[in-house]
Amino acid sequence: MKPFTYIKPESLGKALTVKKSSTQYIAGGTNLVDLMKKQITQPDAVEDISQLLSDDIKLESKGILIGAMAKNSAVAVNKNILTNFPLVSKALLAGASPQIRNMASIGGNLLQRTRCPYFYDVTLNCNKRTPGTGCSAIKGENRMSAIVGYSNHCVAVHPSDLCVALAALDASVSIINKNQKKEVIAFKSFHRLPDEHPEKDNHLPEDALIASVQIPNNPFSKNYAYIKLRDRDSYAFALVSVAAALHLNKNIIQEARLASGGVAHKPWRWTEAESFLKGKSATVENFVKAADIIATGLKPLSGNGFKVQLLKGAVETALQKCLTP
Amino acid sequence: MNFFDEPNNIQFPPEGRVEAVAKVTGVGKYAAEYNVPDLCHAVLVGSTIAAGRINSIGVDEAMLSSGVIDIVTHYNKPEVSAWSDDAKIRESRFGLPVFFTDKIYFKGQPVAMVIAETFEKATYAASLVKINYTAENFEVDFDRAQAKIPLSNAGKERGSETTWATAPFIVDAEFSIKAEVHHPMEMHATIAHWLSNDKLKLYDKNQGVNNVQRTFARLFNIPVENVEVISEFVGGGFGSGLRIWPHTLATALAARLVKKPVKLMLTRQQMFCSVGYRPASWQRVRIGADNDGKFLGIVHQAKNGTSLYESFAEGITRITRLIYSFENLKTESAVVPLNLNTPTWMRGPGDCTGDFAIESAIDELSYQLKIDPVELRIKNLSLEKNPDNGLPWSTNYIKECIEKGAVMIDWSRRSPLPKAQKEGEWYIGYGMAVGLWNAGRGNASAAIIMQQDGTIIVQTAMTDIGTGTGTGMQNVANEITGIPKSKISIELGSSNLPPAPSQGGSNGLSSITGAVVAACNVLKEKLAQYATEINGVYKNALPADIILTENSIVIKGKGETAISYQQLWQKKSLTSVEVEASSGPGAERQKYAFCSSAAHFCKVMVHLPTGKVKINQLVSVADGGKIVNEKAAANQMSGAAVGGIGMALMEEMPLDVKEGCMIGDDFAGYHFPVNADAPVIQVGFIGKPDANINPTGAKGLGEVGIIGTAAAIANAIFNATGKRFRDLPITPDKVAG
Repeated sequence: MKPFTYIKPESLGKALTVKKSSTQYIAGGTNLVDLMKKQITQPDAVEDISQLLSDDIKLESKGILIGAMAKNSAVAVNKNILTNFPLVSKALLAGASPQIRNMASIGGNLLQRTRCPYFYDVTLNCNKRTPGTGCSAIKGENRMSAIVGYSNHCVAVHPSDLCVALAALDASVSIINKNQKKEVIAFKSFHRLPDEHPEKDNHLPEDALIASVQIPNNPFSKNYAYIKLRDRDSYAFALVSVAAALHLNKNIIQEARLASGGVAHKPWRWTEAESFLKGKSATVENFVKAADIIATGLKPLSGNGFKVQLLKGAVETALQKCLTP
Repeated sequence: MNFFDEPNNIQFPPEGRVEAVAKVTGVGKYAAEYNVPDLCHAVLVGSTIAAGRINSIGVDEAMLSSGVIDIVTHYNKPEVSAWSDDAKIRESRFGLPVFFTDKIYFKGQPVAMVIAETFEKATYAASLVKINYTAENFEVDFDRAQAKIPLSNAGKERGSETTWATAPFIVDAEFSIKAEVHHPMEMHATIAHWLSNDKLKLYDKNQGVNNVQRTFARLFNIPVENVEVISEFVGGGFGSGLRIWPHTLATALAARLVKKPVKLMLTRQQMFCSVGYRPASWQRVRIGADNDGKFLGIVHQAKNGTSLYESFAEGITRITRLIYSFENLKTESAVVPLNLNTPTWMRGPGDCTGDFAIESAIDELSYQLKIDPVELRIKNLSLEKNPDNGLPWSTNYIKECIEKGAVMIDWSRRSPLPKAQKEGEWYIGYGMAVGLWNAGRGNASAAIIMQQDGTIIVQTAMTDIGTGTGTGMQNVANEITGIPKSKISIELGSSNLPPAPSQGGSNGLSSITGAVVAACNVLKEKLAQYATEINGVYKNALPADIILTENSIVIKGKGETAISYQQLWQKKSLTSVEVEASSGPGAERQKYAFCSSAAHFCKVMVHLPTGKVKINQLVSVADGGKIVNEKAAANQMSGAAVGGIGMALMEEMPLDVKEGCMIGDDFAGYHFPVNADAPVIQVGFIGKPDANINPTGAKGLGEVGIIGTAAAIANAIFNATGKRFRDLPITPDKVAG
């Protein structure tokens, strides 16, 4: 790890002012410290913003607001989350370990970097780590890599579970930019696809901070599921994951939400399958059709063709599980 | 006051482990935790290529970095007496000639070592060392490489292959297992301190202090007694501590160079390429049976990976020669050199690998024969003698293990047809397999120091890597002497204590309990000798007649003979009584064969759409002779079973064969089971002492707990789904669909 200075700005304004391209904000540090140890991120200084941002979880008229500094573990057990947005809790608890969730902030969860192993090995090429060097994963060990939305430059996937639920629930992200102006970014536009610039994970402007995440009120607190398929039952990143939510009237689907992790550079929404399910009855046949729709658009790599089958299985299982959450 | 400084008045639980309080309070020190004045910190720099040569090493920038004391490379390494030339290096059989070569054998090979004032400074400076290589072709793809390596005989052939060529039932199948890495919780670490030019003190993580001591005495050509090795607490080993690895020698070299004590702890990532692993393997098994299910013959071929600088043969076909009676048997093997570090023994070495193939093939045969796999095995066990050397088994309770295990899991619930039971979306299946291990014993010594208040300290050099050696010693000392456990403390894991073999191959308890019994008897004899001066009745008393109570010596059944320790001590003007004794194998080894054995039963639930395998029940019943401490023994078995789940379902050294290196070599990329992956393991013991193996009748359990587990799981998955998996690990991608 490169030696660095630790700065604790006394105010948000100060934090934004002193921020340079060679410094790095730190909140929970559960990913950043690893990145620093592995010499992937080598800041001259870290700015501790953990005392500057809210950790409130507030139920408001339009939905719920989660402060960027709220700990993953606190959100997962928050009463309002469990009552109105239980899918969020399910997804959070599928991620990391209790120890990491105790440290990790919600803002940091959105900004965590891929766990593509090539990104973490500085002796091998990686466009995300060092633009222009090439992607080692595309023809290498890509069992964990993307099956949709990737480019020739990068096949990494976004590792978050929480973000899959946030994508499914049409969340939004409030940010504070370098000039201390607030902006709101729709969650679906927050993370980006790799295209020619895989070094950029998201659309957060340089040196800006996430202030909070909002989830609008929704009718999905009854019929929801989060299925995460992985190589072991806890503390492993997803091979594929599915967040599913249904708004049912009797047995008719008024609205469906389907999103996945472990498949793309960003949390992935399956809007076509959602449209298909809308107005249909909640039957195994329709769930299988929805899974088939999802499977048709996929382009697995040399080592992850199995993800198509797993994803279909996960979608069907998640939709069925929505009926008996 | 800091949290860890809080005083504690924890009462020692009488049936707990002797080291438990020291471990949970942090008082017990692991190798890297000792405070040594002037301690410096060393960090290894690993090769970034898989094969080739070092052209140059640029250390200037690193040397200028804050806190750096020196940097070791092959250009400036201190002398190793036993390594005066290449031939001597090979003769030493040390393995990798760390810092004594410019040749690169694998990625991660130590090529430089930075010594600095702090660990952080050394770590950073290590990143500034610039190495220029000439890269050469490499091979890390075991599957591709093994196809080109010819097999050769592995042990004596029995009968002939042709006699059963037309057997009515034959299974002929190939199996493969990916390499697995030990990853004990405590990463390997060494503190090396040269007390003088020819006196070395090591605090080291290993499984045998005397082995380390002898190795360093040879390497530096100094007397054995000049090397002191302290390994009092060891956080797991699984075999990774049975050799002396390059990093330990590197630490001694660093300390020699800077003339100060130096600490080196491997990073978790370095653990992947520094302390061995269970090598990748390929096997072919051809097994035939007659219409009644009697085995007619077997051919077992096996290959395992090794490094380019050492040939490590795992002994995969050994197990085939031991469990069942095969009149016709042929075993062949080969090693496959790869650009990886050398593999080593890992829990149930060889047998664990071979047993997976044999026990899977027998399961397959049972479906062909339509004979229950339990019955098929019992029909073919070699219960009277070791079929390989012809010696009668001293004890062999493998049949009892099978029968007890079948009851524990309720084997009658199993369907003889595959894919026949379903609960909701989950297919249910049952599988079983057996394991066996040559039960060994080595020469070991133990000492006892007794005080006037009746307390004793029992000592040995043997380590306790978490298996409960110390607790076992306490139990035996209590049983033989009569002194209450609360008055028996244990000291171990130091070369200053009476010598003992390394703790591996299920030899630990079998060896040390003999020595403890011997030392207890010598103590009794010595106290009886003193007692004779007070009461003549002790003159011809045998150790078995004598009981040592909390405060006095007494002849069994004769309370009136009691003489207090206080009396004895006063009479003889003693400060303390010290005895030492040794014990080891003898003529019984020519008369008998010895084995530990186990039967593993598993119930799985399989969800085909998602490829999820859930181990619903896992039963392991073992014959470990007399069980000296049931808690520790059951713990040992549970741990092995969880290791077996890892082997079956998830553990795999992550390699990129195109880049010639590991990729994802961390705990995000290498999965071993967590609690959620394992049910509560149901452990059973036969519990019958082996009267011939040693004075306590205890046999080692370390290996048999894992030999057969993976096969039991794979067999259960077949029973559940009709899918036969012959390649480990069985990850969700293989199962789904």
